[in-house]
Amino acid sequence: MAGLELKAIQKSYGAVEVIKGVNLEISHGEFVVFVGPSGCGKSTLLRMIAGLEDISAGELWIAGKKCNHVEPRDRGIAMVFQSYALYPHMTVYENFGFGLKLAKTPKDVRDRKIRDAARILQMEHLLDRKPSQLSGGQRQRVAIGRAIVRQPEVFLFDEPLSNLDAALRVDMRMELANLHRDLGSTMIYVTHDQVEAMTLADKIVVLNGGVVQQVGSPIELYQRPENLFVAGFIGSPKMNFTEVTIDSINGGQVTVSGADIQPTELSADTTGLGEGDTVTLGTRPHDLLADASGNISGHVSLVERLGNETNVSLKLRSGATWLVVLDGDRELRHGQELQLGIEDQKAMIFDAAGQARHMA
Amino acid sequence: MANPTSRAYARRSTYPGWFFLPAAIIYGVLFLVPTFASLYFSLTRWSLFSSEFIGLTNFYQFFEEPFLVQGLVNTVIFAMITSGLKVVLGLLLAVLLTSRIALRGYLRSVVFFPVLVSTVGVGITFTVLMHPTQGAINVALELVGIDGPHWLTNPSLALYSVALVDVWKGVGLATVIYIAGLVAIPKDYYEAARIDGSTPTQSFFYITLPLSRPATVTVITLSFIGGLKTFDLIWAMTRGGPGFSSDTIASIIYKQYQAGFYGLSTAGNVVLFVLIALLVVPLTMYLNRREGHE
Amino acid sequence: MSLIRRHWLSVVAILVSFVVFVIPFIFIVLTAMKDKRQSALLDFSWPEKFQLWENIVDVITTRNWQLLTAFINSTILTVASVTLLVVFAAMVGFVLQRRRTRWNGLINFLILAGLMIPPAIVPTIWLLQAMGLFAKLHGLILIEVAYHLPFSILLYRAFIATIPKDLDEAAIIDGARPLDVFFRIIMPLLWPVTVTNIVVQSVTIFNDFTNPLYYLPGRGNETVQLTLYNFQSQFNTSYHLLFTNILLITIPPLIVFLFFNRQIVAGVTAGAVKG
Repeated sequence: MAGLELKAIQKSYGAVEVIKGVNLEISHGEFVVFVGPSGCGKSTLLRMIAGLEDISAGELWIAGKKCNHVEPRDRGIAMVFQSYALYPHMTVYENFGFGLKLAKTPKDVRDRKIRDAARILQMEHLLDRKPSQLSGGQRQRVAIGRAIVRQPEVFLFDEPLSNLDAALRVDMRMELANLHRDLGSTMIYVTHDQVEAMTLADKIVVLNGGVVQQVGSPIELYQRPENLFVAGFIGSPKMNFTEVTIDSINGGQVTVSGADIQPTELSADTTGLGEGDTVTLGTRPHDLLADASGNISGHVSLVERLGNETNVSLKLRSGATWLVVLDGDRELRHGQELQLGIEDQKAMIFDAAGQARHMA
Repeated sequence: MANPTSRAYARRSTYPGWFFLPAAIIYGVLFLVPTFASLYFSLTRWSLFSSEFIGLTNFYQFFEEPFLVQGLVNTVIFAMITSGLKVVLGLLLAVLLTSRIALRGYLRSVVFFPVLVSTVGVGITFTVLMHPTQGAINVALELVGIDGPHWLTNPSLALYSVALVDVWKGVGLATVIYIAGLVAIPKDYYEAARIDGSTPTQSFFYITLPLSRPATVTVITLSFIGGLKTFDLIWAMTRGGPGFSSDTIASIIYKQYQAGFYGLSTAGNVVLFVLIALLVVPLTMYLNRREGHE
Repeated sequence: MSLIRRHWLSVVAILVSFVVFVIPFIFIVLTAMKDKRQSALLDFSWPEKFQLWENIVDVITTRNWQLLTAFINSTILTVASVTLLVVFAAMVGFVLQRRRTRWNGLINFLILAGLMIPPAIVPTIWLLQAMGLFAKLHGLILIEVAYHLPFSILLYRAFIATIPKDLDEAAIIDGARPLDVFFRIIMPLLWPVTVTNIVVQSVTIFNDFTNPLYYLPGRGNETVQLTLYNFQSQFNTSYHLLFTNILLITIPPLIVFLFFNRQIVAGVTAGAVKG
């Protein structure tokens, strides 16, 4: 069993704290994605698991063994780097086999493992090439192959797809998903691309400023983000926000209104909220409808007609700009006034502390 | 396995501090220790076996004895002439050798090769070529009706003749440094300037010259320091003569060493060190500051 | 119009370069071929009698095969000091570039100082004598290493900066122990700059005159540059032998130049820009 446990993990450089006490449990075979904006500490956290960074405080357990001071080679991990970090002076074959060679694996065993990995990645014909003779996608596969050969309990990926072009990235994403299914190993994957996170992860860990914001399945994070940060970070295009005031509370229902929105009734966890409180209302661009009797109105400032849907930037009365994605093709003029409604009450309320007030 | 409290760790020991050790020991013992020792021994009358502290006497001598003062002046003149000529000729040659000229590869090789040749060999060869009556240079000059000077035997000319030979040997280095600098200038600038109506001469002054500034800084610094330290060429060609007319500090250091005046010789080392520090440090600071403004 | 001008410039450049840079070498070769009497005229004439081979034999055998001893000494000096230089400078350059410590500032200062400060001659002799290294070939080897380390370190450091640190880390994850990272990953990748280092420093040390003059005096200790000096002072009139000697000691740099011109130029310009 190669689960991981992070207990109050901290990392500081001098007085600067970059990881502020992370607790996390990862069970065997899970595909976990660390996601967050650049500088949130996700790569640092991964590198601490790999053993490339010291752990300032807290405990790291891998497969039931405390690993704070274990050498990287003894942690049962393999890592795929953003730059691939292929050894330029070695062939693909030697790149695959370097770790085994260092571990003094017998030559025949080494050869079998290298060829197995090459077969999985369908690159047997490339084994004699040097990295400089490979395309970007092929280099990426060598990097993955080098990890597979070591048969690690845990795979670590540090933004592995960010150097590929868009089309290749989609292909590799699917291949990684297949690989995870076939190998069944634990995988930890760092990315700033939330589409990668949503499509690959069993479990997403959203980080910001060295603090875990939320841990959950992709759909959980999308449907029930715990706070403003997660709500804004997960989902593309981004969620729209506006400040509103609570007009009345009636059990699990609140009525809110604000500069940009007529009184609207929504369901929410109202514990501790009072009439007159200022809260934030958030709604996703896909959850807005063109509705002549809708509660929201604004002026069209930009239209992108994609055929199957239409992206509209709407300038609201408060000056805020919302993005709206409308079904089908719409012919809208710049400056035109547009009325919107919220589909099925799909809006969220966030209290003054930024915490989401979902119905229990 | 590492002990839990130790700070020793894979990442750190990948870049072990002891990698500095072999280099540090050799450099420290054979370069730094003598350098610091020289500060003391330059204040002594010294015979290697015993030394007698005599204060600044050696240094007074350096600024009073006419032949020592001349060596000091010669050193600065030599460094200024050689570095100045290397900058000007190096840049011109580099411009020429990056243009579309015939036999460019041959020309670059021919200019650079003397850099790799033995300095003493070059010195001896030119001593012969500069012979006042039989030397090829004056024989050639005579053919066109010029009475060639006594290059190395005229006391007021010897230093300059040696400086010319130094330029002959070293200009190739300046040229390749400039070539490296010139090829790094994007072609776009020249094309943009041409569209703006710039003539080749204007392009040279407004684009090539300012943008090859880093190379200029390198050439000046290198050849100026090299010029101040020059010993082997002077020794091979004139031994500092005639008289003391082409002595530099480096040749004085050797002469005093041979004569057994170890304290005075070491004082020469300190004077040379101070001279380099006084001239080169402000020079590089000036050059680099100007660079920062552009 | 511009075609004419370009050709005109080419012709002038080729002529001038021939007179200035090629003729001195032709003079060396011609004089080396002449007999004693004709060479003493110091003129630029065609040899009446070609005796290059006799001159070479003469030069090599004279003074009890001194030139041969000198070539052996110079070869040992060059090979040994360049080997040490390459290994020690690569080690320093690697750690200096990779690890930020409070020593870095001091080390960088010492490197610049080493490039600028003239070595203190007599105190060095005094020290070498105290250590029993004076007038010893291995003493001079260490001296050459000490004096040329700063430049080699600069070359290595600049090159190591272009090798991504990710490679080190990938190797660590692959199970490389500290020395594996340096010897199996970094050193092989340093090969181009190592070649440059070897070539540039070999030529410099082979051509060195001053340091052998001071630190390696004595019969049987001559390096090739000092044989010239000896010829110049002892056989004042044997110009044919003097120039044969010059010709012989110019051959090693010429060979290096023919095969490694690119690396030399890379070395002197890269190091120069940094220094």
